[in-house]
Amino acid sequence: MRRDFLEKTLRNLGDALDEAGRAESSGPLRRLDPRVKLAGFFGLILAAASSRHLPVTLGLWGLGATLAAVSGPGAWRAILRLWAGVGLLTGAVALPALFLTPGPALDWGVTQTGLQSALTLLVRVETTATFASLIALTTPWPALLKALRHFHVPALAVVIFAMATRFIFVLLGIARDAFEARRARHVGHLPGKLRRQMAASGAAMLLGKSIQLSGEVYDAMRARGFRGEAVTLDEFRCSRADWAAAGLFLALTGAALEWGCWR
Amino acid sequence: MGVLAMTPVFELEGVGFRYPNAPALDGVSFSIAPGQCVALLGANGSGKSTLLRLLAGLAFAQAGHVRFQGGELTEAALADDAGGLEFRRRVGVVFQNPDAQLFNATVFDEVAFGPLQMGWSREQVLERTGEALRALDIEALRERPPYRLSGGEKKRVALASVLVLDPEVLILDEPTAALDPQSQARVIDFLFERLGERTVIIATHSLEVAREIADTCAVLSGGQLAAHGPAEGILSDEALLRSTHLLHVHRHRHGPGSAHSHPHQHS
Amino acid sequence: MHIPDGYLSPSTCAVMTAVSLPFWAVGLRRVKAAFSARLAPLISVCAAFSFVVMMFNLPLPGGTTGHAVGVAVAAIVLGPWASMLAISVALLIQAVFFGDGGITAFGANCFNMAIAGSFVADAVYRAIAGAAPLGSRRRVVAAGLAGYVALNAAALLAGIEFGLQPMLFHDASGAPLYCPYPLGIAVPAMMLGHLAFAGVAEGILAAGVVAWLQQNEPSLFEIHAAAGRGRAQRIGWAVVLALVFAAPLGLIATGTAWGEWAVEDFSKPEARAAVAAASGNVEPPAEAPGGMARLAELWKAPLPDYAPAFLHNAAAGYILSAGAGVALTGAAALGLQWLARGARRRNPVG
Repeated sequence: MRRDFLEKTLRNLGDALDEAGRAESSGPLRRLDPRVKLAGFFGLILAAASSRHLPVTLGLWGLGATLAAVSGPGAWRAILRLWAGVGLLTGAVALPALFLTPGPALDWGVTQTGLQSALTLLVRVETTATFASLIALTTPWPALLKALRHFHVPALAVVIFAMATRFIFVLLGIARDAFEARRARHVGHLPGKLRRQMAASGAAMLLGKSIQLSGEVYDAMRARGFRGEAVTLDEFRCSRADWAAAGLFLALTGAALEWGCWR
Repeated sequence: MGVLAMTPVFELEGVGFRYPNAPALDGVSFSIAPGQCVALLGANGSGKSTLLRLLAGLAFAQAGHVRFQGGELTEAALADDAGGLEFRRRVGVVFQNPDAQLFNATVFDEVAFGPLQMGWSREQVLERTGEALRALDIEALRERPPYRLSGGEKKRVALASVLVLDPEVLILDEPTAALDPQSQARVIDFLFERLGERTVIIATHSLEVAREIADTCAVLSGGQLAAHGPAEGILSDEALLRSTHLLHVHRHRHGPGSAHSHPHQHS
Repeated sequence: MHIPDGYLSPSTCAVMTAVSLPFWAVGLRRVKAAFSARLAPLISVCAAFSFVVMMFNLPLPGGTTGHAVGVAVAAIVLGPWASMLAISVALLIQAVFFGDGGITAFGANCFNMAIAGSFVADAVYRAIAGAAPLGSRRRVVAAGLAGYVALNAAALLAGIEFGLQPMLFHDASGAPLYCPYPLGIAVPAMMLGHLAFAGVAEGILAAGVVAWLQQNEPSLFEIHAAAGRGRAQRIGWAVVLALVFAAPLGLIATGTAWGEWAVEDFSKPEARAAVAAASGNVEPPAEAPGGMARLAELWKAPLPDYAPAFLHNAAAGYILSAGAGVALTGAAALGLQWLARGARRRNPVG
């Protein structure tokens, strides 16, 4: 049965709000300095993306799985969901490649190069997605933003990212209230044209509120001394464990690149 | 110290302001003495919010003059680096919409935002932010994102983010709007206890709030100053309050018995 | 449409990021000049808006639903430069926070959706709206088409990026390392889904929003006017086009291997039989979670049956598909501009 679009939109908005509170994780990754984590995982993602040999990519996937397993049950469940979702999507995308890629034929019209390229794609996408999710799962967003400052991302950009995430929640709340109010007024199935109009006017109303909100925020920022240039406070101290982890990340990335790409 | 010898904190003289389609203020003149608590009263659309923006240095008078401690508030004066920042430090504003006021990722960042913009040293920023969090009893919320705060908590974070700069003047726009009665009482108590020598300007349409904390009231109506004077006088002038839409008359019940009409306030 | 990590090679990602960087730099400068300190709240709130809109489920004619990006709405209300920045911020948060779109593919996603999307939407909207009055019906139609064309342009770019992968990157045995489909498959597969669903969703959203704003908040159309326009926009537009052509042509010129993935394999009867069997047994996902899933529809594409001879050369195929897309868009824009001029002559007041 087809769900009504209001139901679906409400569920999406609700999921987004719930997801936001999900960075519940534990273990060594959680304690790691966010700068080390950000740079380290970026290196591993790059290594996985560059790998030309399936065994190396598989090894990196195993590393990601191990890290997820030691990051607490919440993170592990999130990674399992991710694997299922990514696997389904990339599997569907890669499936025709089994038959379409020219090369020596195996059974049922599958070609060897097809099999190899489909597997390579699947493992690669799962691996990079695992690493990327581990960053978000084990690091509170504000800490991640502060880490960005250390990689020479301009302060103004970091302030914009921080404010944008902040206002996603404000706007999600406004959107959810608006859709809920509409749902309360409409019972039963609505004709498509009306539903489209409702969705568009909901978005338009949200845009109006957004622009108005941006004006109010601008006032609030100016009243506290904002003059267009952002100033942020950076407070990180790298412990010995952080340095060791940085070394480990570097070694793993180097090894993966050496065997997967350069050799 | 004699009142006459003191320079007013704010002095308005024939202030006019209009939006592209409608006038918002016309010929408003009055002044605010240091240490006073002034309630700006007015129904929606009376020009109250515009006046507040002029006092906060967020908009500028198109006619007449607005002076802060004797110096004229103009766009040019506030664009000046040192002078502009100094004004922002001395005049704190708590806005009505907490979602607009709290724009940082965590409570700590929110409170530290002002001090950082002032260019204070790292130690000073950390120290003052810590003090402000303690003063408002929100240390436990330090790393929380604002969307996980209740209405009352948001208000306290907003107050902390402004008081951290130790402003001499505090401008509050509807400080008790959208709060439950208990949180309202807490905010009013707080204002009573902690504000001490500060000059406080509160825009509100709640006569109750004005009655509890204001020394002086200024009543705006249709963009003009309808009345200005000691709080008791104005708040007991029913005719004035009714003509400026701060009081309504309608019928309703009080306890058992028949409904009857009497002046009634809606906030 | 959000390209995940692993589908594009790191070098492709690096190129796309390098191409996006100057747009961000110029955009930041221009938006700062127009809005000064207001830039930060405006861009961040609009990024949040786009993020929330991407979650809306838009009911489409025919009973399906689709997601829009909101790029046309942003370009119409904020102007292309501010829109480009806001959508980029929304894409970054999606990539990092929700894993939607890859981290290495961020530059490519931004170029396709935020940069090219904003410029195309702006160009189409202005060409069709012309000098029509703010409240006119024509602006609603213009917004709808702007959304439709912009999202399809983004899909075309993504299709090209996918299609280049098997030609440029494969292992020793010839197996593709990244997206395994050549241009002749990737471009039509991407386009089908967007021509039929995502583009329609974007168009409906843009038209609906503009219609609502005309009735309820016409003042929002003035923000764009404050942002300044003119030559820089045209330069931006020209650069987008030049890049679509020049980057792959550069690759051809340097003699990169194009030929390995010959399209004639598709006309071999055994391969075709396999394709037919596959399409009979495997159903495409009932609800595609993203544009990429539509690649699954590719074996329905009738291309191999009557692919003309010149398509058998991948480079020529690329130029053909890119050229046809650009030419169609260009012709549409010119035609609409011509229509707009005619209309202006009829109502000189507008």
